[in-house]
Amino acid sequence: MRAMNMKKAISKTQLLLATVVALTLLLTPAAFAAAPGITGPTFNLTARPAYISQPDGSAVYSWGYGCSVAPSGFAPALTGATCPNMQVPGPTLIVTEGQTVVVNLTNNLPNPAGNTSILFPGFQVTATGGVNGLLTREAGRATTNNVVHYTFVASTPGTHAYYSGTQGDLQVEMGLYGAIIVLPASTPAVCDSGVHASNLTAQGHWGETDFRLAHAAYNHPGACYDREYLFQYSEMDPRIHRQAEEQSTRTCTNCMNVATEPYLPAYFMINGRSMPDLMDPNYAQEYPHQPYNGNPHMHPGELTLLRIIGTGRWQHPFHEHGNHVRVLARDGNLILSANDPSSLAGPLLFTTTTTPGVTMDGIYYWTGKGLNWDPYGHNAASGSTLPCTPDANGYNTGAPNAINYFEWCQDHNKPLQTHPFGDVAGGGPATLPDPNIFANGPWFGGSPYLGPDATVRAVGNTGTTPPSGTVANPPDSEAGFAFMWHSHNEREITTNNIFPGGMLMMMLVDSREFVIDESN
Amino acid sequence: MRKMSPLYLSLVLVVVTTVAASGQSFQVQCPTATITHPFHAAAGVACSQNPTAPGCNNNEPAYTAATTLTAGANGYLVPTANVNGAIKCQQISGGDGFATMGDGSQTYLFAFGPLSGLADMSNGLPGTQFPNVFNDVAPPLVPGDPATTDGASQAPYSLGDPSVFTYNGAVGLASDLDAIASGACTPDALGRCLDGHVDTRQIMDVGVLNGNMPAPLMAIDEDDEFFLTLTNVGQVMRPDLFEQHTVHFHGYPNASAFYDGVPDASVAINIGGSFTYYYLAPDAGTYFWHCHITPPEHLQMGMVGQLYVRPRQNRVPGGTSLYAALQTQQADLRTKCDSSDILCSNPLPAVNTGATGGAKYAYNDGDGTTRYDVEYPIQIHGFDPNFHFVGMTFNPEGFTEMKDKYFLLNGRSYPDTVHNGPLATQTTDGVMHYSQPMSAIINIPAGGRALLRIADLDVTEYQTLASLGIPMQVIALNAKLLRDQAGNNLYYNTNSITLAGGESLDVILDASDTTKYPSGSVFYLYTPNLDHLSNDAENFGGLMTEVRIN
Ligand SMILES: [Cu+2]
Ligand SMILES: [Cu+2]
Repeated sequence: MRAMNMKKAISKTQLLLATVVALTLLLTPAAFAAAPGITGPTFNLTARPAYISQPDGSAVYSWGYGCSVAPSGFAPALTGATCPNMQVPGPTLIVTEGQTVVVNLTNNLPNPAGNTSILFPGFQVTATGGVNGLLTREAGRATTNNVVHYTFVASTPGTHAYYSGTQGDLQVEMGLYGAIIVLPASTPAVCDSGVHASNLTAQGHWGETDFRLAHAAYNHPGACYDREYLFQYSEMDPRIHRQAEEQSTRTCTNCMNVATEPYLPAYFMINGRSMPDLMDPNYAQEYPHQPYNGNPHMHPGELTLLRIIGTGRWQHPFHEHGNHVRVLARDGNLILSANDPSSLAGPLLFTTTTTPGVTMDGIYYWTGKGLNWDPYGHNAASGSTLPCTPDANGYNTGAPNAINYFEWCQDHNKPLQTHPFGDVAGGGPATLPDPNIFANGPWFGGSPYLGPDATVRAVGNTGTTPPSGTVANPPDSEAGFAFMWHSHNEREITTNNIFPGGMLMMMLVDSREFVIDESN
Repeated sequence: MRKMSPLYLSLVLVVVTTVAASGQSFQVQCPTATITHPFHAAAGVACSQNPTAPGCNNNEPAYTAATTLTAGANGYLVPTANVNGAIKCQQISGGDGFATMGDGSQTYLFAFGPLSGLADMSNGLPGTQFPNVFNDVAPPLVPGDPATTDGASQAPYSLGDPSVFTYNGAVGLASDLDAIASGACTPDALGRCLDGHVDTRQIMDVGVLNGNMPAPLMAIDEDDEFFLTLTNVGQVMRPDLFEQHTVHFHGYPNASAFYDGVPDASVAINIGGSFTYYYLAPDAGTYFWHCHITPPEHLQMGMVGQLYVRPRQNRVPGGTSLYAALQTQQADLRTKCDSSDILCSNPLPAVNTGATGGAKYAYNDGDGTTRYDVEYPIQIHGFDPNFHFVGMTFNPEGFTEMKDKYFLLNGRSYPDTVHNGPLATQTTDGVMHYSQPMSAIINIPAGGRALLRIADLDVTEYQTLASLGIPMQVIALNAKLLRDQAGNNLYYNTNSITLAGGESLDVILDASDTTKYPSGSVFYLYTPNLDHLSNDAENFGGLMTEVRIN
């Protein structure tokens, strides 16, 4: 597991340093995410073949959109951002509401594949050049017609899909799909005040950079957010890709005859990658044609925007552990109350089903409200506590520079454990187990508590035994609460029959002293 | 871990287990009082003498006001008046077992089984108990209980008498003589010290091969503290495996990673170990639970159960305005629900209907619209017989070609779905076990309303359940009331619902029109996925059951 090994190395360094200086902020393991893409409003794309990498070691012949020339820019500004000439998913196109978007697509697929094209559902598209096609104009095979031009006004904000409109059962399966993010032309002032302002203050205090594309997904007070991630779901049947590869070297044109049924996918991907590759950095060099990752992190209380797109053919019941998601919009259409447009009306879901061609914007957060014990392990008896001053909703939001910013104050200082342990008070309801009879997972933070301060006070720098377990979420530097986000068609959390794999990622809720760095 | 096969994974676990699991460490936890639920009985009442007296945490008090929290001596808030809810406890085994399919064949399970509430569970009820019931010493128990003591003998429809076996306390709980001797524990009125110490032999006698499908039903009330003990008794049929198990409370808002049951993010329970999960009940709703070890395998093999949380509104005294009661709940910041919280689903209703309390409700609706007379947890699932067969052998299973051939409602296929009472299966120990305790018949009193708490835990595909006759009113999705932020109910009528594994919803079958739905009539719930109306090779059966108007 590549990501884990890398983090293991970092955490060992940290252990050495931790003996010299007290906890935190020495060397944070890189956390990677954001919703990266390229900016326009003119995009020069190409459709090309290349091999994408899967964690079972296979290189799967695929087709993808890429940049034919360097894009106008990248957003957000991440380290190592590139736009290769073929990638899966295609480049995320980031534009602003009202802009006139131009996409010039050049067909560089092998001759046997025939024409190709792009559909932009939800937009009024004018297509020129290329050749006539069924659903839109297509980029043909001859040098005189292999470029097609699509022009449309980005009329509605939100997350949108784009994908091939030519022989979709084959071309979308092969990887010809991507995302368009339309940022609202203006955002409500409320998104820059109150807790959103203090969240930003907290980020600044700990040296975090703001990687948001905007401060609201829509121009609506219910659509403010503090962090964002984009997930595109697809699956692959390797037998289809093998047939296409075999036929790609034929000398004829538009002559592929690939059986796309019966359909038996073996790879289940998010952003073109499967677990554990999925959690490696954006633009990681190991995956030259799969630049986008899935490795979400957030702090308590931050409203996190999930931009979700279904591609491929199947629905996938994606389960977000830890809390519900409020669905804001479907296919870029806000879902509002019929008689009160200031009120949201989308459902609250703990499983956000992805459907081919359908996009969803939703808000998730985690605060620990209602646990009935203090996740920071504050010990009033020893003085290892911080103030918690409830705001109107009960959260400690008046102290953005504190570790326990956004703590749920009703449980402040309230013990979990029956018996005191380390610098954590007893008197609570639960007798914690003898760690020797349990196996610890790689994302276990080393104790029941959130953050290195609480964990180190409770059980020391290495967490509870066996210490070999906690490598991806070290007790003395991160000790986040890790939640699995995964397809609940559980056989889809496998890669070609190997578990774990597929549509699975760990989402980390990190206490404030851990710096979430989304720079790659 | 790039090329880790399931078999290789198993080998790793063998090594870990043999090192780690020295010494048995079964135990249960069920405190009689806590910070949140102190004894608060009236003056002169001793809870030790009158365990069911008000204020002894063994019953649900009426909900009349938000709990008063006051700064206590230890630096945190403590309740000083209007203590709401109670303490609930449950124990389950993690291991294996066998179930009987609709075509009569027996299927191997990785499974959870009941280790508390045994008598209740054999009657299709939750195994969740108040402390005064849970904390007890069992009469002598034998393998297969309660089926053995009941005299169950004929599979799958037991001829046993479920009234013979009545014990609902924890299996294995025994007086801690050492603690009495050392003075660490003061014996109760019966001279016992029940501090969680257990007799391992009794747990093994009852827990081995007692797997249930669905896994034991859990039900708690809002404001309850819930102590769920998972005891890993091992898998008799797979001595090579040393499987760990966990409990994931699916859909719990603001869960902690520690108690979320994901082995990658927390701890996993080895054979010979017990672990007690602790939660304050979340918002009312239909959740579910399952093991989170190697989910494609353990869920397919049967480690999936039902779990629901009843609303405070059930405890609002008759005659009290439900609207006013919901306003009262807003006084508790923990359950305050308005547009300041984007994940709030039950704000005050847009219309005050004037409805008053005294009935049963699915949610804190404030308008009485989720009222029901009877409730039925319905679990949709699917079994791939090939996978289950391979699961009993020592070979690694494939995931890509997993294909369900049995389609289950509460662990049964038609016609077993319309059999009353538990199904019994003889396992490899030669003993009958109640393998599938929950019937799937929906009995509605004439003129009544039934709440179906439907959860799907299929691991391979979406399934549709349709109603012939009575329309389905969908009132909630994923344990959240369907209501917009302005308070408008977004319920909708339909004759079918479609769910994937990992989803739940609540449906009301309203039979209040006795002309349309007269006493004695029968309607069907069935799947229009017609290939799911089969039991493996038999082409009649599967995902179907009856709705009977009584
Ligand atoms: Cu899960
Ligand atoms: Cu399990």
